[in-house]
Amino acid sequence: MLTLFARILKVLNSEASPWQIGWAIGLGLLAGLLPFGILTLLIILLVCLFTVNLATFILVWGLCSGLMFIFGDSLEALTWQYAQSPALLQLLAQSETLQMLHLHHTLVLGAFVLGMLLLVPVAWLGTILVKQYRGRVMSKLQQWKVVQMLKASKLVQLYENLN
Amino acid sequence: MIRKSGWLIFLAMLAAILALVYLFLGTAIRLGMVYTLEKAAGAEVNISNVSVSLAPIALNISELQITDNAKPSHNTISFANAKAAIEVWPALLGYYVIDDLSVDGLAYGTERSSPGKVFRGPNADPADKVDLQQLLLLDLPNADELLARADLKTVARGEELQQLAKNQQQVLKDLQSQLPDKAKLEQIQAQIKALTDSKIENPADLASKAAELKELQDTLRAERDKLKAVQQQLSQSRQQLQQAVSAVREASSSDWKKLQDLANIGEGGLAPISQILLGDFWGERIGQLEAVYRLAKPYIPANLPNSDEVPDPEIVMPNRILPLPSQPYPDFWIKNARVNWLIGGGEALIELRDITAQHDIINAATRFNAQVTGLPQLSLLKLDGDFAVLEQMVTNVNWQLQGINVDSMDIGRGETLLQLASAKLSTTGKLNLVNNQVKQQAQLVLQQPEFNASDNKYIQQLATLLNQQAEIPLNLNATGLISAPDVSIRSPLDKLLADAVMGEAKAKIAALQSDLRSKLDTKLQQQLGGQSEWLSMLNQQDSAAESMEGNIEQMLNAKLAGVKDQAKDKLKDKLRDRLGGGGG
Repeated sequence: MLTLFARILKVLNSEASPWQIGWAIGLGLLAGLLPFGILTLLIILLVCLFTVNLATFILVWGLCSGLMFIFGDSLEALTWQYAQSPALLQLLAQSETLQMLHLHHTLVLGAFVLGMLLLVPVAWLGTILVKQYRGRVMSKLQQWKVVQMLKASKLVQLYENLN
Repeated sequence: MIRKSGWLIFLAMLAAILALVYLFLGTAIRLGMVYTLEKAAGAEVNISNVSVSLAPIALNISELQITDNAKPSHNTISFANAKAAIEVWPALLGYYVIDDLSVDGLAYGTERSSPGKVFRGPNADPADKVDLQQLLLLDLPNADELLARADLKTVARGEELQQLAKNQQQVLKDLQSQLPDKAKLEQIQAQIKALTDSKIENPADLASKAAELKELQDTLRAERDKLKAVQQQLSQSRQQLQQAVSAVREASSSDWKKLQDLANIGEGGLAPISQILLGDFWGERIGQLEAVYRLAKPYIPANLPNSDEVPDPEIVMPNRILPLPSQPYPDFWIKNARVNWLIGGGEALIELRDITAQHDIINAATRFNAQVTGLPQLSLLKLDGDFAVLEQMVTNVNWQLQGINVDSMDIGRGETLLQLASAKLSTTGKLNLVNNQVKQQAQLVLQQPEFNASDNKYIQQLATLLNQQAEIPLNLNATGLISAPDVSIRSPLDKLLADAVMGEAKAKIAALQSDLRSKLDTKLQQQLGGQSEWLSMLNQQDSAAESMEGNIEQMLNAKLAGVKDQAKDKLKDKLRDRLGGGGG
């Protein structure tokens, strides 16, 4: 828990631009919602090729995968209900590329649509929040005794050394 | 914006992911399978290990056990090892096409090392089972009870008859008023007589009398027409009443048949003894097929017409494939499967082809066959059949088994326990399953049976008699819902067994039969009472009308002829006088 908190702080206080962190949150969310497959690999490739913050991406990916254990069944049922449109089914049947992405699987389709809808707003919101944090909260937070204690703890120092 | 070492990081991550997948995919699949199978079977499922091999991509499952939810100390199905080789390209497209599947050590009803958890109870409610003891107590219903339950037609037809008779009484009253008045007829008769007896003086007198006679004749004709109408009405009434009376008699004989069925005394015995003994047992065996149906149901396309009357608790799949209009492969398709089944202390090899739930895509049905010989407990087993999900889920199975050594089997329980200690069983049969509706026909022969009985004297008599038989042939039919089929079991020995075991029951049945017959006869008499008098009264009225009609006809013909003859005679006399006077 402490390591996680320290990791978040480290990223927030790092030189990484707010946009890099924002997109890492958005793409981490998209990767986390999706069941593991070719789409996940494509997202990882994107994250690697562009200077998206890797630590944030992995953190959000892990958190959102956990959330899918809770909400996965509902999302699957919802997709099954709304994805019966003949035009959509025809489109999915025609393209082998879409089938390779497993978009004819209910959970993949539902998670992909939801992830794509949330991607830009979450990335934008993440960017704004990081900017706000750095502008207003960071200097005050550095002065908190808890934070200073945390930064002085052996575990965090060990973590920072490893990075 | 572009990370220069991006590809390197990606490849490193990919390698790490593949390593993780290789290490943990087996565990993930194992957890997924346990979750899904437990939902379908309603009881604990154990899988000791699932591993994945890469070339060719194959899945190995070791030691799978599905707990029997009716008997948690045993498994419904278990196997030692299963291997499935998956085709890569369909898997990339998201379809599970398995080239070869082999299952070794498949067994049914093996004992578990520790009892499994049960999440959903067995469907059969023990309270609904037929209690042999109760049947043998011979608590026959009494005649009044049966008459009340039978919804007798005799009463309904009798009431109709009484209503008809009441209506006819009114009609008859009206008819009497329409009948020609006797006094009037007598008066006409007297007038005619006076006319015909009177002497005709001259042609004018003849003409006036003829006119008078014609008038009387017209009156008589009108009376005759009225009489004919009355006669017709009487005949109709009589016919209707006769029909109603015979309807009451027919209803009475059909009621008698119905009462015999209700009291089960038609063939001189109670329900066939083999039905009482084996009905439940066979029903439970067929009911076990439902476990297979439940396992298969989540994989069957949802667009099939659902004929289930009772909705089952829905099993939610973690991920489903959308019903695309043209799929290159079915959602899952096992091209060849080989199952090594542990049965009766030996082994059987079963081969299956094209296992899927979307037979329209591969344009073939799932076929299976098995042939086993030389097992210690079985001399021959042949089984073949097909299975297809098209507009409905249809399964056909034919089987032939010979010389099965039957292990000890309990029929009934407690005081009415009848134990089949040993026997050899041969059976042929066929089973047709359409969705969850079963239709099954089988012929069974138990050879050299040995039965042990409990202390119940009926059961002891039964066991002695059964032990004397070299063969016990049985015809087993089952129809209806697979979880609760209507089972009918008949044997040519039924009558013999019923006569021997139900000896004491015979007297009670005979007494009930005579009581029922006399009560039904009384009912018949009550319904028919008075109606025969009515019929004879109608007959009397009819004959009275007939004699009246004869009288009128006579008056119309005979008297009219007399007047004419008299006129003719008179004319002749006049002519003769003139001619005689001229010639003389």
